[in-house]
Amino acid sequence: MLTHTVLRAGTKRTCSTLSVVRGLATVSQNQPRLKSFKVYRWSPDTPEIKPHMQEYKIDLNECGPMVLDALLKIKNEQDATLTFRRSCREGICGSCAMNIGGRNTLACLCKIDQNESTELKIYPLPHMFVVRDLVPDLTHFYKQYKSIQPFLQRDSVPSDGKENLQSIEDRKKLDGLYECILCACCSTSCPSYWWNQQEYLGPAVLMQAYRWLIDSRDQASVARKEMLQNSMSLYRCHTIMNCARTCPKGLNPGKAIAEIKKQLAFD
Amino acid sequence: MMSRVGVRSLIKPLRISSRAIQTIPQPPGYIVGTVNDAYVPPKPHKTHGSYHWVTEKVIAVGLVPLVVTPFVTGVSTPVLDSLLAGSLLIHCYAGFQSCIIDYIPLRVYGKFHHYAMYLLGLGTAFAGYGIYQIEKKEKDGLVGIIKRLWKA
Repeated sequence: MLTHTVLRAGTKRTCSTLSVVRGLATVSQNQPRLKSFKVYRWSPDTPEIKPHMQEYKIDLNECGPMVLDALLKIKNEQDATLTFRRSCREGICGSCAMNIGGRNTLACLCKIDQNESTELKIYPLPHMFVVRDLVPDLTHFYKQYKSIQPFLQRDSVPSDGKENLQSIEDRKKLDGLYECILCACCSTSCPSYWWNQQEYLGPAVLMQAYRWLIDSRDQASVARKEMLQNSMSLYRCHTIMNCARTCPKGLNPGKAIAEIKKQLAFD
Repeated sequence: MMSRVGVRSLIKPLRISSRAIQTIPQPPGYIVGTVNDAYVPPKPHKTHGSYHWVTEKVIAVGLVPLVVTPFVTGVSTPVLDSLLAGSLLIHCYAGFQSCIIDYIPLRVYGKFHHYAMYLLGLGTAFAGYGIYQIEKKEKDGLVGIIKRLWKA
């Protein structure tokens, strides 16, 4: 009986000391690491309020690693009115393109800088019309994409009557072009596109133009090339190369544009 | 839309010089036609497209030996010198032309785009005449002038 109590008391003591130790450890781990996020805000419902930067504090311990996680956390827990596009959260849809810390990129592929002493500024894609908060108006961008006719065009039917075959080498030419998700990060990082986006097609669309130009199965390359034969559509590219630097998928639209210029030169 | 109206009314009193240079108002969101119509590019014109680009590049690349040769060898014939001065002039013309297309676009500035182009043409013509005079009168032409400036 006696021993039992003693034992129990002993166990109790060990337990309590353990919990104290563990408690301390957890406290130090759970010290909130507040990082401030400054997000561009503007709403068409209140046009009298100028666009401004709104600050949100986020505990990095409670947040996922990517900027998109932080934005979702703000929207879920702090401010449901914060508006942005997002969909796949893995860099394949291109919805969450925005300007994060001065660089156009996808919020879902951009890691949060874990240094909580610095703030992170998030803007919509630069030099676009803003629909609301972080949502840019991409209508004109899509109209430009439509103008290059991004689909296979052929005069003849395939010889076997079933499918348009392509050699492995010809297919390889499309690598580095077909991966583009049209997030518009490159186009909106291009100064030429900023000044003349109404007429200059921009790196994203031109890279797709090139993707269809070199497709061995496509037979409309004469019309495709002719469309670019003016001073605005293609030749506003001054090889600034912001496009290649900013591309969140690591593609090189600048090179594609250079290849189009080369093709047109020998046309 | 509403924001743009709001912003414009804010900016208006600040724009005093805007009356001197009237810009052409652009369609909202740059959308011409409906949102589902494809963008219509300017009419194809090879002299504005690939020919222009090829000429620009050929002259830019050609300038490299034309500049390097007299610099390294120290000799320059009148023909080479005229070629250098002429290419340099065309190179500068193309560069400024690009600036005008970029920053004073026809779409926004209308006639002022043309005025800028005329001014550039006039300046180029003056410079061309200047080059003619230099090549005719100066000893060793353009290279000679640079040589003397270098030593001065």
